Amino acid sequence: MTRQFKPNETVDFAVVGSGAAGGVMARELSQAGFTVVAFEQGPRLGPADFEHDELKYFFLSGITVDPKVSPQTFRKNPNVVAKAAQGVQPALYARLVGGSSVHYTANFWRFHEIDFKERSVLGSIPGTAFADWPITYQELEPYYTKVEWEVGVSGLAYASPFDPPRTKPYPMPPLPVKSSGVLLERGARKLGLHPFPAPMAIASQPFRGRPACVHCGFCMGFGCEARAKSSSLYTVIPEAEATGRCEVRANSYVFQVATNPAGRATGVHYFDADKREHFQKARAVVLSANGAETSRLLLNSTSTRFAQGLANSSGMVGKHLMFNQGASAHAVFEHELNEYKSVQVTRILHDFYDADPKRGFYGGGGIDGRINPQPALWAMSSGGELPRWGADLKARIEAFPRSMVSTGHTTSLPVETNSVSIDPTLKDAWGIPAIRVTYQDHPDDLAFARFLQDRQVEIMQAAGAQKVWRDEVQENEAGVHLLGTCRMGNDPVTSVIDKYHRTHDVPNLFLCDGSSFVTSGRGQPTMTIQALAFRAADHIGQFAKRNEI
Amino acid sequence: MKPTDGDQDGNSRRSFLLSSGGLLSSVWIVAHWPAIAAAAHHAESVSAVAEPRIEFFDDAAAADVEAISAQIVPSGATPGAREAHAVYFIDRALATFFSDWSHDFRAGLAEFQSGYRAANPASPSFAKAGPDAQIAYLKTADRTPFFETVRTLTLLGMFSSPQYGGNYRGSGWKMMGFADQHAFTPPFGYYDREYIGFVPYSSAEKHS
Repeated sequence: MTRQFKPNETVDFAVVGSGAAGGVMARELSQAGFTVVAFEQGPRLGPADFEHDELKYFFLSGITVDPKVSPQTFRKNPNVVAKAAQGVQPALYARLVGGSSVHYTANFWRFHEIDFKERSVLGSIPGTAFADWPITYQELEPYYTKVEWEVGVSGLAYASPFDPPRTKPYPMPPLPVKSSGVLLERGARKLGLHPFPAPMAIASQPFRGRPACVHCGFCMGFGCEARAKSSSLYTVIPEAEATGRCEVRANSYVFQVATNPAGRATGVHYFDADKREHFQKARAVVLSANGAETSRLLLNSTSTRFAQGLANSSGMVGKHLMFNQGASAHAVFEHELNEYKSVQVTRILHDFYDADPKRGFYGGGGIDGRINPQPALWAMSSGGELPRWGADLKARIEAFPRSMVSTGHTTSLPVETNSVSIDPTLKDAWGIPAIRVTYQDHPDDLAFARFLQDRQVEIMQAAGAQKVWRDEVQENEAGVHLLGTCRMGNDPVTSVIDKYHRTHDVPNLFLCDGSSFVTSGRGQPTMTIQALAFRAADHIGQFAKRNEI
Repeated sequence: MKPTDGDQDGNSRRSFLLSSGGLLSSVWIVAHWPAIAAAAHHAESVSAVAEPRIEFFDDAAAADVEAISAQIVPSGATPGAREAHAVYFIDRALATFFSDWSHDFRAGLAEFQSGYRAANPASPSFAKAGPDAQIAYLKTADRTPFFETVRTLTLLGMFSSPQYGGNYRGSGWKMMGFADQHAFTPPFGYYDREYIGFVPYSSAEKHS
């Protein structure tokens, strides 16, 4: 039985969020000897609760934020009134123990060295807050290795000519290649490019008490029924609980961080499953609630001392939201690929990872070959020259087993007006002011996504596709990568947290999740979120042991 | 309305453990037994299929909606929307989990029906018209929000889990070539069958 704490019992750390970062925080701090309560808005589910049910997971908010109880608003322009978002919410995340690590696709790319120093290399970009990170790749490398070995990543080290330096190989070999991977590799090699086995946070062989992937194909958007996906739910959370010093408190919705007159955090206010309000005392608070909810929580935690929101003396909380861009190229081949089987991605390439000023616009990215969406979503895809109904639509649907998608994953620039803020009128089912998302892609983000899509089309053609078509590159109005909203930096005037994830304003309040990012990377952020969490927990634990919190 | 076939037990996942013997080696099954057993057990518990019945529509409305959906994904050598019971899914969706859409759907259907009658005064209803007449009329109406909603619901009904009333006996999945199983083993498709393995890049390539 896991440890249970009483709300009036002062724990060492209240960690808000149990996902990619919160789970790591809970494990690392509890293993270091501290008492921890990790709060999770949603329920605790397990393998027996997850289903191959596309309607539930993609259309009925099965495990994602539900607009009926947690509505959000959206606008492109900060000068207009935001409207309630219908259907998919603009800041989309999973709401259960394990957070979005439960439903992620599990692409686990490390950032490259360039990601941390791009501003110095490329110079400023007008209309953006493009900046270097206050840490280097070399500082983060040991923690990337820790993610690979302690959370579990399958891959082939040194396979890509563009890989950053590493101190250890992957702990598991790559997952078996699929036909999409073979075809991406065939086309790319013909063009002189360098595809390689995709690093995935999915067990290719039994790993730390979990079974290997059984290749059911329901990874992206679904909870893993086999426990092979290296979600926090199956990895760091049970290990945290096993210390006897960590309680994961599900169905517990934190809506405010409390502070005392001295400006220190004293704990968190939260609602339980019956909407009863409680207060958990804590010596320090760590917010790992995701790039949207961490900002919302800070902005809703106003007080006389922190009138514009907690840790927001810079005014930067919620700003510089980055979703990542990207686009798809679809292809049909002569023979069956059966892409609905097994993991989403088995081959990727990073030949276009670095930005090239000669293109005339900023941007970089990676390309993969992958499964189509699940059956209903794939049948529903429309646009361009795709048939919408009748015998032609049916013929397209019947080509499902012979089809694949090459997807590009690209940069978003940090634009100050792209933000998570508090909607002035809309409230959620608990009466808490709702998230308002303001977002419009920088023109360079769209230009690079189109550039990379042209390369994807070329690769599919070189692979021998019978037919290739593309989705139109569209402006983002929603995202699952919630990045940059409480950026890390050395200057308290332009950033929210320091290089150790401590807020500049509140000495015992730490933030660690996608909000900490300074730049967006190339579209696969969870590996870096978890590496940051391992590093932050390491430093926070040392601070706590030295009474420096 | 009555379903076109009486047997509702069409979920292939239920019979996974029995049917997989020819697909998977016994060694592999033993190695993966705990994960597969857990998943298959769960599939058994969720695979109950709803009793087909029409609640939201009256008979005329159900007939017209079914006729529209049957033009969106027509019948033929393989099942279409009619054989997949898409209309049962649509009826259930509008009565329950998509009830927010029901008001607009009713209004759209009424407009569609009145528009059809105005254009075809000699025809009693869209459902009773011949296929050529149906296709001709749909070409005048296929950019309306109502048609788009019927299209969305038809495709959801054909390819979502049979537990929601459509995709009758997995007919939609069979039509598109999707196998609903809880485990597969490589090779998965034609092109990975003969793959020789990843060939590393030379040092020169790595530094080019």
